[in-house]
Amino acid sequence: MTKFLAVIKREYVQRVRSRMFIIATILGPAIVIAFTVVPAYVASFRAGGPTRIAVVDESGKLYQRFRDSLLSSALTDDERRRDSATLPSQVNANQEDRIKMAGRFGNPGFTVSRVDRVGKSLVDIKRDLNEQVRRGEIDIYVVIPENIMETGAAELYGRNTGDIFTRDAIENRLTRAIRDQRLADQNVPQQVMDHLSRRVNLKTTRVSNIGEEEDSGSGFYVVFAFGLIIYVTTLLYGQMVLGAVVEEKETRIAELLFSSMRSFPLMLGKLIGVSLVALTQLAIWAVAFVAVSLFGIGFLASQGANITLPHIPAMMFVYLGLYFVLGYFIYATMYALVGSVVSTVQEGGQLSLPIALLLVTSFCLTFPIARSPNSSMAFWASMFPFFAPITMLARILTETPPFWQILLSLAIGFATVVGLIWIAARIYRVGMLMTGKRATIPEVWRWIRQA
Amino acid sequence: MEHSHPTLILNNVTKRFGDLTAVEDLSLEVRPGRVFGLIGPNGAGKTTTIRMIVNIAAPDSGRIELFGTPLSMNVQDRIGYLPEERGLYRKMRVGEQLRFFAALKGLSWDDSNRRIGQWLGHLGLANTETRRVKDLSKGMQQKIQFIIALIHDPDLVILDEPFSGLDPVNVQLMKETILEEKAKGKTIILSTHQMEIAEKLCDDVCMLNRARKVLDGRLREIRRSFARNAVALQFEGGDGVLQDTNLVANVNQNGDDTEVLLAAGANPQLLLRRIVDSGAVVHKFQLVEPSLHDIFIDKVRENA
Repeated sequence: MTKFLAVIKREYVQRVRSRMFIIATILGPAIVIAFTVVPAYVASFRAGGPTRIAVVDESGKLYQRFRDSLLSSALTDDERRRDSATLPSQVNANQEDRIKMAGRFGNPGFTVSRVDRVGKSLVDIKRDLNEQVRRGEIDIYVVIPENIMETGAAELYGRNTGDIFTRDAIENRLTRAIRDQRLADQNVPQQVMDHLSRRVNLKTTRVSNIGEEEDSGSGFYVVFAFGLIIYVTTLLYGQMVLGAVVEEKETRIAELLFSSMRSFPLMLGKLIGVSLVALTQLAIWAVAFVAVSLFGIGFLASQGANITLPHIPAMMFVYLGLYFVLGYFIYATMYALVGSVVSTVQEGGQLSLPIALLLVTSFCLTFPIARSPNSSMAFWASMFPFFAPITMLARILTETPPFWQILLSLAIGFATVVGLIWIAARIYRVGMLMTGKRATIPEVWRWIRQA
Repeated sequence: MEHSHPTLILNNVTKRFGDLTAVEDLSLEVRPGRVFGLIGPNGAGKTTTIRMIVNIAAPDSGRIELFGTPLSMNVQDRIGYLPEERGLYRKMRVGEQLRFFAALKGLSWDDSNRRIGQWLGHLGLANTETRRVKDLSKGMQQKIQFIIALIHDPDLVILDEPFSGLDPVNVQLMKETILEEKAKGKTIILSTHQMEIAEKLCDDVCMLNRARKVLDGRLREIRRSFARNAVALQFEGGDGVLQDTNLVANVNQNGDDTEVLLAAGANPQLLLRRIVDSGAVVHKFQLVEPSLHDIFIDKVRENA
């Protein structure tokens, strides 16, 4: 037992104290921000000024509606109408804030000008406009034909027709303008129009064994976020486990270790040592994240923003914790297994690709499982130890399965972890004696039996 | 000591790796308080034998008995081991590293701290405790590994090629340390392909060649039984004497030395008298005991 603890202590202390750990702990969140916020921010750039649109309105009655529609905020008119028309007045302040906020970010950025015919033919006008586009005076012009109310077809000309966002926006706004015009032509009053356009607000309630619970459908996002955390954690620390297992082989220390202790507690000790490192780092990040988001929420709340956190029952946290530990260990052990077969970290990198594949597969499985959480496919997927951490959670969050199934999947999972460590330990011990070349699968199989 | 129970017994031990037989039908006994030399060329099976003794590899057949009990993990703490493949945690500090390995051998914190200080001082490494291993010279690293093998005061010390890569000063220091350990009553197994070193340190030897034992026993007796009436000579003049086939079986010019193997029935005194009588000036006349190397070559030829 003291030997086992000595191994854990060495792995933990050496790693946590290393410069790499400190740098990674500080830089980790910075990198995450760099990879999520920066691309989103860059993508939201609008290079240059607003898109300049000229409109040739042959129908003579759509320009005004089309222009209003284009210049309105990013929220679709549907939503805006619903908000302003139907919500009780006491929350209106909030909603207006939201619209303003959204408008600031999603401002479509159009300037719209009307092209007068003044006796010229359409061909002449188009020639003029083409020239203006070429000279860069306008970006786009739209020709609304006289019979658009019947045909529902219009034309867009521009230099950059690859800008699908602008194209979509114009199509949507024009459709909206025409629909309203058609209704107006039928003498439908504005009030009725608004009423007709109201969106349905679907309130979701989950019927569970306990009774009815309100559920905003956030469960699925929790699974997704959770799966992502397992995925990232595994990729980050799996490599560390791999490195820890290969280290003694590369440095030839293994021989001394194996002459002092059994390989199973050695392997387990290394795994736990590295896991504690992972836990330390995650805890630092979690505390930082909670602190920042509490501050952020407090700030937004003081600004009058309406923030709703996903509602997660307490038992859920227990399951999240259990399946996180299971998921982490299942995959970390796989990396340990790879580490025990190969003789250098580089080799291990190639061989560990299938591990990531298993993770991605269990991710993909959550979609069919979320649709039918009690199907036999969902059952088997959540019993299969390599999928269970994510798929069983998906089931619990969508339609909680009987308790015995949860217990069974946990039991299978943790038994698999122990089994894998046992196998890895044997391969490690025997493989250490054969150096120089990578083991073939039959060889590895023989090692497992003979060790 | 002569009649006490052997520290280690190997009984018909065989180990194969696939088609390769690393150790074949090996039997030997290591007696307590003695230096036992496991000698032979590279690839003879020395390291595999040692790995079976330290319980890293299991024999395919045969029996190993250590301290009077069948081999098990429980007796591992009584063994100190310096593997041939040297390795240390490069980024760890010397003191931490020694404490870690001491803990793996079941040594308490206080004991290991005390002994680490003693050992580092003894081997001239006193100021290295807080230095990282990668910043030390190779010789220093090897001495650290030597300390790892000895820090828990083991009853059996197994040293696999302990002198390879060391400079003469450190070789001398290691030799002295090994003899000190022997004086404390420890049993030492020394594996080496350098026969000159084995000759100077070992009480008993076991020679391996191509997985098999070719010879074992007390070094002194082995040498006696292989005595071949050989003489090393340095002299001027008197050339005709060595041509007498009644007196001389074989002549080997070896630099300034002339090595002479006497014919059966001839004795060294007679040779010396004949040379002096011939008027030659004798600078050196020495009876030569056969070296382990010669004995080994002889035995290998004999078995081939």
